[in-house]
Parts: sequence; C-alpha cells; structure tokens
Amino acid sequence: MSAERSTKILWSATALGGAGVAATFFVSGAPRFWANWVVWFLFLFTLALGALFLVALEHLVSARWSVPLRRIPERMASLLLPLCAVGACALGALPALYRGTRPAAAHDPLLAGKAFWLSVPFFSARVLFCLALGLVPLVVLVRGSLRQDVDRDPRFTVRARRFAPVCMAIFALLVTQAAFDWISGLDPGWYSDVIGVYLFAGSFLSGLAATVLAVIYLKGRGRLPAIRFDHTYNLGAFLFGFIVFWAYIAFAQYMLMWYANLPEEVVWYQAHIDGAWLPVALLLGLVHFFVPFFALVPRDAKGDLKRLRWVALVVLAAHWLDLYWLVFPELGRPPLFSWPELSFALFFVGATLLWMRNAMEKGEDMPVGDPFLKEGLEFRL
Amino acid sequence: MTESSTESFAVLGLFPSADALMEAIPKVRASSLGRLEAYTPYPVHGVDQALGQRRSPLGGMVFIMGVLGAVAALLFQWWVSAVDYPLVTGGKAPSSWQAFVPIMFEVMVLFATFTAGLGMLLLLNRLPFFGHPVLGSKAIRGITRDRFALAVEAEGEFDPAAARAALEAAGALEIEILPAHPREPAFTAEYIQRSAAGIFVACVVSGLLMYSMVKLMPALPPMSHMLEQPRLDPQKPSAFFKDGHGMQLPVAGTVARGFLPSGLAAPEDGARLVNPLPMTSAVLARGRTEYQIRCTVCHGALGDGVSTLTAAYGAKPANLLAPAVRADPDGVIYGTIVLGKNAMPSYAADLPEDARWAVVHYVRALQRAQNAKDEDLK
Repeated sequence: MSAERSTKILWSATALGGAGVAATFFVSGAPRFWANWVVWFLFLFTLALGALFLVALEHLVSARWSVPLRRIPERMASLLLPLCAVGACALGALPALYRGTRPAAAHDPLLAGKAFWLSVPFFSARVLFCLALGLVPLVVLVRGSLRQDVDRDPRFTVRARRFAPVCMAIFALLVTQAAFDWISGLDPGWYSDVIGVYLFAGSFLSGLAATVLAVIYLKGRGRLPAIRFDHTYNLGAFLFGFIVFWAYIAFAQYMLMWYANLPEEVVWYQAHIDGAWLPVALLLGLVHFFVPFFALVPRDAKGDLKRLRWVALVVLAAHWLDLYWLVFPELGRPPLFSWPELSFALFFVGATLLWMRNAMEKGEDMPVGDPFLKEGLEFRL
Repeated sequence: MTESSTESFAVLGLFPSADALMEAIPKVRASSLGRLEAYTPYPVHGVDQALGQRRSPLGGMVFIMGVLGAVAALLFQWWVSAVDYPLVTGGKAPSSWQAFVPIMFEVMVLFATFTAGLGMLLLLNRLPFFGHPVLGSKAIRGITRDRFALAVEAEGEFDPAAARAALEAAGALEIEILPAHPREPAFTAEYIQRSAAGIFVACVVSGLLMYSMVKLMPALPPMSHMLEQPRLDPQKPSAFFKDGHGMQLPVAGTVARGFLPSGLAAPEDGARLVNPLPMTSAVLARGRTEYQIRCTVCHGALGDGVSTLTAAYGAKPANLLAPAVRADPDGVIYGTIVLGKNAMPSYAADLPEDARWAVVHYVRALQRAQNAKDEDLK
C-alpha cells in the first residue's frame, strides 16, 4: 500500500470515528461518552508514559542493548504532547462520572473528610500540573536525544543519565496520580494502595508492546537492519516478565481484599466481578496473562517477530480491556460494547497512528550520536 | 563402545583466539569425524550454534515440572481442605481457589528450580564425574588462560589421525591426543559413606550452633515470635485472669452447638416431639455407631435387653423390642435418652441432638428387624 493511500485511509477512519464520538455524546449520553474518553485518555497516557519509562530506564541503569532501539520509545513518548489536550478535555468527565466532585459529597460522612481533595478545582489542578510535568522529561530526554543526532555531543548522554532518576520520580508521580485520581476516584469510598503499581504494570507493558510493534513496522520497511534476534529477544523477555508482574499485582490486590472481606473494599470487586462483569474479568485474566504468558514461554518465541507481533497486539488490546474493566462498571450497568466504543477506538487509534507516522520521521531511526550505539549494536545474549 | 574409542577419548586442537576457533569450527565440522566440543577460558558468543549443538531439553523439563508442581499443589490443597477434612477458615468456603494460588505458585517455583538445578547437574551434565579427561591434559593450562580448544571426541568409528589432520588444516597451533578415560562409577560405597558422614556432621554442627544460640546466648534470639506470643496455653497458668488459670469455665448460660437444652421434665413429655431426621442409610449408619458405643452394653446388640451385664450383675435393662416400647412415640425414646430412666443415666451430655434422633431411628430399625412381616420381603 502506498504511503499516500494509507494516509488517506487513516484520515478517513479518524474522521469517521470522530463523527461517531460526537454522535455518542448526543445519542448515548454524557456518562458513556466520558467513560470512553477517560479510558482512551488513560490508555494513550499510560502507553506514552511506559515508553518514557523505557527510555529513562536505559539512561538510569546505563543499559547498552537498548541504545539502538531507543529512538522508537522516544518518538512514542512524544504522544504526551497531544495528550495534554486530551487530558484537559477529560476534565469534562468530572461532573458526569466522579461523584466525589459533586456538592452532595460534602454531606456524605464517608467523603466529607476528603471533599477538598476530590473537589473539581483541586482535581483539575492536579491533572493539569501532572500533564505539564510530563513535558519536562520529554524536553530533556527526547528533544536532547534528537539534537544529539546532529551535534554528536556526548555530554547529552551524561546529562540524560543524571536526569534519569528525576524522570523516574516524575514518572512515578504521574502514574500514581492517574491511577488514584482517574481510576480510584471513580469510587471515592474505595481505596487500594497498590492501584498505582497495578497501572504501572499495564503502562510499561503497553509501552513495550507498542515499541515491539513499531520495531516490527520499521524492520518490515528495512529501516532497522541492524536490529537482530538478540535485541528483539530482550524486548520479548521484558514483555514476558511484565506480563507476570501485572498478574502478580492484580492477583495480590484481589486476594488481600478477598481474604480481609472488608465492606468498603469488597464492594468495588462486587461491582467489577459480579453478574455480567464476570465474563469480562475472566477474559481480562485470559488475554492479559494466560494467552501472552504461554505464547512467550518458549525461548525462541521471545525473539520471534511473528510471535511477538500478535502477542504485542493482544497485550495492547488487553490493556484497553483492563482500563475498560476498571472504569465502565462505575456506570452501574452491564458491559456496554457497541458502536460508541468502536467509534472511540477508530478515532483514537487513527489519530494516534497519524501522529506516530509523523513522529516516525523525526530524527534518525537510531540515536546515531550516542557514544554507546556501537556497543548496543554488538550486543549478544 | 567400539575398539578404537577405547584407545583415545578425543583429539584436542588449540587455537590462539576466539575468532580462530570460530573459523575452525565449520571446517572441522564439515569432515564429521566425531562429536565436537569447545573448551574456552570465557564464554564465547555463538559457539554453541557453530558447534550445531542441540537445544538443551532443560527448558522443557522445567516447564513440565513447573506445571506439575502447580497442579499437584492445587489438587493437594483441594483434597486436604475441601475433601478429606473440610475446615472453614476465615469464613471462606473450604475449596476457595484464591487461597490455593500462593501455595500453587510456591510449589511451582520449587519444582521448577529443583528440576533446573538437579536436572542440569545430574541428568544433563552427568555429575558427579571426577576427572574429566580434559582436566588431565597438558592443554588445560592454556584452556584456562588464553587458549581456545576444539575437541573432536570419539564417537563410533573414530580415526584419530584424520581428526589430527582436520584440526591442523583448520589452523590448530598444538594438537594433543587424549587417552581414553573409562568413566568410573561415581556412586561407590566409599563416596556414599563419605557423603552420609558429611551430611551427618553438617546436621550436628548446625544443630549445636542453633542450640548454643538459643540456649546459651539468649541475647541473640532466633525468630521465635510465633513461639513467644502472648497467648493462653491449655493446662498452664496465666497472669491474665484473676484466678491465675489459663483455662476458664464457659460463661454461665453458654450452650454448646448441638446441645440445646431440651426442656423436658419427664421422658413422656417428649411425646409431642417429631423426629427431624429422615430415615436414610447415612442416618441409620450414624445411629448404629452411636447405639453400639452407648447402648449395646446394656440393651444388647439386638435391643432385646440381653447383654453381658445381665449375666454378670443380674441387671435387667429394658427390652427395647417389648410391645410397650414399640408403642412409644419417637419423642418418648428421645426423652429417655435425654433424661435417663430408672438405673439408666442421662446421655444428653454424650450425644448431641442429631445423634439422639439417629439412635431413635436405629432403635426403630431394630424393632422392625425382630418383628418382620411377610410384605417386608417384597
């Protein structure tokens, strides 16, 4: 398919999705519209943060194997820029979905103590602050790396290594804020300390899966000829490890609440695994753990691009389903999946691919100015 | 083992660098003279692919054993906590999969790691193996420092001269022919004795160390939080209660499960009661068990009041088959069990509510058995 034709298809798909998104607001009502919006904002936000985490991790531990691949998560992290607008729009969901922001919350004895924390002004201030804060690592790590392509200045590598711990702290704050405000905030009576870690697992997984898909896309176009089995194996092994990590955290959270059986904790699980939501929860366990786990168990599978491609797609779909399962039960209805959800998918996937098509042309395909690129290219398992 | 392989184990060629070794491997491999093995001072990337070694079966073994461990842990816990001795813990159903998962995970890891460690050492590396021929070679000094060895090991019809020629053609600096080294059995009596003695000494030493730490150096306590928690022990004093006993009487008015007071004043008061249990084989089996434990000694196995006590003491326990007892309602027999009659004491403390009614059913069955009618046979 020619580039022009695929661009046209992407634009029309995005436009069609956009029309469906607008129609959702008027036909299906505000709650469903905003639930979809929050899910897609969180999906893309965590994906971009996961990619940023991969970049920062490399600088933090001075990893060498991932240097030739670093430009891909760097480009993906650039999604944080348009996501500022998406996130700011998502604040429209506050009155529709977040009952802690309603005036009645001040009279609820369970919520009165945290009414200020849940109120619209402070909620919005946190969200906007975190969206803005996410641009700092983008400027330092990604823009600096792109500049290094031109000036070949090794001082950037030193600067990036020094900045990496700060970036990790920012990353932790952003993921925790997203989990506590956007997900826990839906049911302000419920609390789980580990929900931030849970979202981090999904975030890093989706960032990795998107990186894998981008590597396969570029390799298919002959643009990353130096990336060998050894590099893709490491990506696959990372994916494999964090599939287990997600399952571990998800089960740990569930099991502790199941054992303790405290009313204020189990009501959340009742809403999420009872009745019509049980099949969704089981499907989530299947696609977020069992299928990708067993698909990646054999050693060769972790570096096999064909296998990695469908596993990465399954992981991305599972991450969307994870967020859907976290957000949608709060509407108090059985699982909804129809044209509004498909329109949102069409719109956001189309728009993301359009952005990424552009971003994929930024700078060289590998960080050619990085002094450790040669070492990374020679990496052997 | 063929005749030629008893003469030499392998022909060893030494190369000056890893690159030279990697270049030589395909050349020697092409002549397919025997099994190839490389000995290098540090891991050389890609040497296993170059040698064409088969993928180790260890991964598959570990996977199978891991799955087996998880399944075994699941079945074991299910059988123990839901089938053999169902026990309600924390208000959860006896077979709660959520509670089984952590143990399944642990046993899976245990099985997998033991398979990986022991499978690699004992099955695949065939240890213990004292004195590999290469360890006794002259080349070993070079191999552990700066030489890279390629060995053509004897396999089938082995021709050492051809192997030497192939290695020389591939650029080997030195050639050494290793004599055959019959593999001695590792598990000799002496080896087993020494191992057992070693394990014994290790146990004694560690036990003594532990003992001295706990008893002689109380300043260094081991983890004993479970042992030294503030709790009440049976038959032990306790400073917690005023009377100084750890064991306390139940609060006045406490009723044990299954021992609800019947409120009967005389056995005849029970006439209004109805046996709540169905007459099933399970209930009758329970009734028989309880009857044989508590009643047979006086009323006899058949319920006819003839028992060992009659001859020994001249006692005359009631004949349960008598028309009067047969005419009694179930509740009167129940009342007799609860309150006792004449010389018979109350059995209310020994038999819980449902056991008493089961015994009543069994007594009815005994009466019927001794007064069978023709239609019972149909």
